[in-house]
Amino acid sequence: MIQVQNLSKTYRVSERQAGLTASIKSLFKPNYQEVEAVCDVSFTVDAGEMIALLGPNGAGKTTTLKMLAGLLYPTRGTARIAGYIPWERKPDYLKSISMVLGNKSQLLWDIPPLDSFRVIGEIYRVPAAEYRRNLDELIDLLDMAAVVTKPVRNLSLGERMKCELVAALLYRPKVLFLDEPTLGLDVSMQKRLRQFLAAYNRSSHVTIILTSHYMADVVELCSRVVLIHHGKLIYDGDLQALSRQLAPFKQIRLTLSSINGHLDNLPAGINVLEQEQNQLTLRVSQSESAAVTAHLLKTLPVVDLAVENPPIEAVIDQVYQGALI
Amino acid sequence: MYHVRLIGHFIRASVQQELAYRANFFINVLHTVLSLITGILGIVVLFEQVNTINGWDFASTLALLGVYLTLSALRRLFIGPSLDSLAGMDGDIWRGTLDFTLLRPVSKQFLVSVRMWESFALVDLALGIGVLAAAVIELEHTVSLTDMLIFTLTLITGVMLLYSILLIFVSLVFWSPGFMFTWVFDGIFQMARYPLDLYPGWLRLVLAWVIPVGIMTTVPAQALTGGLSAAFLLGHLLLTTGLFIGASWFFRFALRRYASASS
Repeated sequence: MIQVQNLSKTYRVSERQAGLTASIKSLFKPNYQEVEAVCDVSFTVDAGEMIALLGPNGAGKTTTLKMLAGLLYPTRGTARIAGYIPWERKPDYLKSISMVLGNKSQLLWDIPPLDSFRVIGEIYRVPAAEYRRNLDELIDLLDMAAVVTKPVRNLSLGERMKCELVAALLYRPKVLFLDEPTLGLDVSMQKRLRQFLAAYNRSSHVTIILTSHYMADVVELCSRVVLIHHGKLIYDGDLQALSRQLAPFKQIRLTLSSINGHLDNLPAGINVLEQEQNQLTLRVSQSESAAVTAHLLKTLPVVDLAVENPPIEAVIDQVYQGALI
Repeated sequence: MYHVRLIGHFIRASVQQELAYRANFFINVLHTVLSLITGILGIVVLFEQVNTINGWDFASTLALLGVYLTLSALRRLFIGPSLDSLAGMDGDIWRGTLDFTLLRPVSKQFLVSVRMWESFALVDLALGIGVLAAAVIELEHTVSLTDMLIFTLTLITGVMLLYSILLIFVSLVFWSPGFMFTWVFDGIFQMARYPLDLYPGWLRLVLAWVIPVGIMTTVPAQALTGGLSAAFLLGHLLLTTGLFIGASWFFRFALRRYASASS
């Protein structure tokens, strides 16, 4: 369904020093710097597959997604989706894809979503009966009958995101690009959206590429991940395989009433990742985490303690530095 | 048919959005009445001093004001709101919401040009047509059916000229997303309130053929008053066609610069 070969994008960004003199100078002699946002990214996605593009902020996920949607022209490389070259933006291609952007809305602000849906249905030439059927199905799946008649500006962020999904799926696209769809949502709304996406992917066989930096999105939805860092593809494969490599570690976040002298008493095999005043972040192997936690509680003046999975940024950073792969 | 139906949907959605803000309605009516009063007052004061200026008498100048008001109303009706929503700090280009326009399987120029409507401008349009009717009654020359047909044709081409120039100005936004280029145009467009013949020679040439705002109003007004030469009409039609094609090309060229807003 999707074939991407050596996709690259270079932006020209203006650059200047701080201060008024530099600002005035750059007015007449601007300084540009080439920034390689995406560099030689290649991967393929099968029809009906759901994959995640993972990476920290500024890694190049959104730029990649926007090139695949045809919004940006690549500097180098090729991509074919459902037989089309995305950035030619052929009407038949645009009819077969859809995009949801977590921080942008395609709904008209002052009127109920139902009215925006009708305009979208008309633009994509969805026949009346099919439009009704698709709309009813989506409203039902997302449990949002009460929401669609309120003006968009009165909706909560979660309700609005459900509406964005309806708007994106009304014309039954074959490929769906989701850019941070759960951004800013509360945990239970994130969970509900994930359940919807998983069910919709199964029932309609739509191919989905998702970007997110919430690990939970990825764990629940995608069996395969593509890791991007500094614009380069650094891992493409099974999430299980990746998590097996990540599994050995847990992070323990500790707040102590006083830190004096206690650092030397930490058991062997513990890595101190961060220390800020009385707060410590430790890395321990998963098999020892229970024992280490018990030991810490017993021997140290602990005010607060949390055992967590390492955050995605830290994981990717380790992957990038070659520590894990 | 598909495009007509789409326009119907855009109008419906726009009216719904307007109705969400009641106070806007009254402010809009006030704006229209004020611009009409200042327009007519200007001409009345002028013609209290003299009978004709460079061949233009009161009735023909009134006809020109009628054309100016009608064109402005048509601009406010859809061209203005649609194109203006691209520019400025809350515009589609700055915020990156042009993404959704680009993803639609429809001509982008069509979408960008007709997606927003301002129904209040219909009041302006009625007033413009009213001033035109008053001018026809005042005119010494009887307006024939041919005059009316040529007038309608030149009014349509006038709208196309106005649209093409605005499209070029708004395309510049892709180079500087925060800047309202159409404001620059507004200043120049004001000059179309008065007949071209009122301006000194060099400025007349500029307003007729370089930034042809003068020709937009003068040609239809002359069609109505019977003072339009065949050569001028032909030049006007050629210029409109050329500018429309040029503006469409320039818009597509500018669109390639769109870099979308960060995530």
